[in-house]
Amino acid sequence: MCTMKTKKGMPVFWHVIIISTIIILLFPILFALGMSFKPLKEAYNDTLNFLPIPFTLENYHALFESVDVVKITWNTFVIATIITFFKVVTAFLAAYAFVFLEFKGKKILYFLLIGTMFIPFAATMIPNYLFISKIGLGDNIFGVIFPQLSDAVGIFLIRQSMRSIPISLIEAARLDQIKQRHIMRDIVLPLTRPAITSTGIWFFILAWNEYVWPVLILKSVENYTLPLALQMFISSEGGTNFTVAMAVSVITLIIPLSLYLIFQRYIIGTFASSGIK
Amino acid sequence: MHAIQLKNIQKSYGNHEVVKSLSFDVRNGERLVILGPSGCGKSTTLRMIAGLENITDGQLIMGETVMNDVDCGKRNVAMVFQNYSLYPHMSVKKNITYGLAVKRVPKKEINKRLSEVLTMLELNGLENRLPRDLSGGQRQRVALARAIVKQSEYFLLDEPLSNLDAQLRVSARKELVKIHDTFQQTMVYVTHDQVEAMAIGHRIAILNQGELQMIDTPENVYHRPKNTFTAKFIGSPSMNLTECDYHDGCLHFQQQQLKLDNNWVNFLNEKRRGRLIFGFRPEHFTLSYRKENNALQAMVQYVENYGENYGVHLEFESKEFVILSNLKHWIKGDTVYMVPNFERIHLFNKLDGINLDYPNALKENDLPLQLNEAK
Repeated sequence: MCTMKTKKGMPVFWHVIIISTIIILLFPILFALGMSFKPLKEAYNDTLNFLPIPFTLENYHALFESVDVVKITWNTFVIATIITFFKVVTAFLAAYAFVFLEFKGKKILYFLLIGTMFIPFAATMIPNYLFISKIGLGDNIFGVIFPQLSDAVGIFLIRQSMRSIPISLIEAARLDQIKQRHIMRDIVLPLTRPAITSTGIWFFILAWNEYVWPVLILKSVENYTLPLALQMFISSEGGTNFTVAMAVSVITLIIPLSLYLIFQRYIIGTFASSGIK
Repeated sequence: MHAIQLKNIQKSYGNHEVVKSLSFDVRNGERLVILGPSGCGKSTTLRMIAGLENITDGQLIMGETVMNDVDCGKRNVAMVFQNYSLYPHMSVKKNITYGLAVKRVPKKEINKRLSEVLTMLELNGLENRLPRDLSGGQRQRVALARAIVKQSEYFLLDEPLSNLDAQLRVSARKELVKIHDTFQQTMVYVTHDQVEAMAIGHRIAILNQGELQMIDTPENVYHRPKNTFTAKFIGSPSMNLTECDYHDGCLHFQQQQLKLDNNWVNFLNEKRRGRLIFGFRPEHFTLSYRKENNALQAMVQYVENYGENYGVHLEFESKEFVILSNLKHWIKGDTVYMVPNFERIHLFNKLDGINLDYPNALKENDLPLQLNEAK
């Protein structure tokens, strides 16, 4: 009955909503893309028209001349990748322990870990900063990475998805004398891959876009990440050269977007198959 | 020798005692069925044997070894779970061979065992399918195949047929018995289905509330129930039971009496006894409209159609009894007479529900018991 109703009356309404949402979501991206290929003068004359007419690469030339874009992109990539890798690995291992192993103090430990999700960044910022400078990682990308190697949110998300695995699958494996690490690799990992992938992408984007923490740690331009470089062109000193800033935005966008396109097929996942009777 | 011995096995979760001091043996190569109502601790017992559940107290001996603290992987048991527990992301072939491959069994050996088991369970052609693309019966067979390729000495099954429809269940249990006859492992089979238990078990262990009620052959469980719980639990419709006293060669109910035959009179005269519970199975007494000598009078309540026969529900001194009859002509409200068969009556102590036993003459003539000894 419901589907019939949807078929008759709703499509026009829904399409209007969907199309306008897409336009609203896409507009800033198209705007940045268009502006980055426009001469600055033209951009000021015809701001709302984002079609790059006349087309120019001068913004990118200017950008590549003023900063080492490749190095900065590499810095951002290294930071985001290492953080994502460690957060996902630690979250997977911790979640496995919380779901499939029995140990004393499990509930309290989990409660404490989840509690850390509610500590605001501002509260840990200063202690972390002091710690990182004391161990000599100030102005070093590893100083950015170091305090972010694990995350309770990841443990929480992956644990939720592991809980949907019937415990008897693990028991069947244990009866076959299959080692813990093989159970993880061959059974739990494939069944939680969608959750791991989406959590990973999310961690990557968070780390990629991170601004406040890198700004505290990184001082020299050669160590900058892309969000810091972007700031260089839109701050008061950078002047009003916003077409160059848009070029930085486009570069900032490319990698997370392509990662998403590569991995999205894993997110829509194998989940329909878990818990088979 | 791969027998299993349970010695005063006990299991508690906190203060809740699930299994209370359970002791029994599973003989080498035997099919033992653990039967009981839900929540009786039968699955917990099986899981303790498998090593998936810790044993709170008591001793579990498998073969010659005390297994209490041996890791489940080292007990050499194969288990079939109720939900089959197939790995959803692995093909049928991978599901069956995964355990062997991880244990580095040679490839040639794996393939040999695989093709054997695929043929045996008629799974050829399904090797590359995922569990979700199989029917319930096929999944059940894959689960069975996965347990068989291990070639373990102990074969544990936790209600493996309960997710199948009635027809499939009958053919699957036949298959199971056939497989066991081939491999002769020591098999423990948990079920709540008494027909399944009768069909599969060499012996049946009946559990209730974590306690062993009786362990014996299907014939004895049916014909010689050890106590009122077993009597009531086995058989469908279940045994008719009612309280009575015995004196002067007669069983005295509230108003009516039943004169016993000589075997029973001699037997009861030698027994110390208090108040009794009298029982008989619906299929062992007959019904009559005619007032028979020494028959119990009752009133027809309603008649249930079972297809092959009818279940006549009767009111006997404010108790409900059932008697099976081939005739349909019983009408509600009619007065009828239950004609006893003294070879097929049971008497229990009222106090503890334990069977008083049977007169020697009955035991000697008893076919079920002789069958049992022949085994």
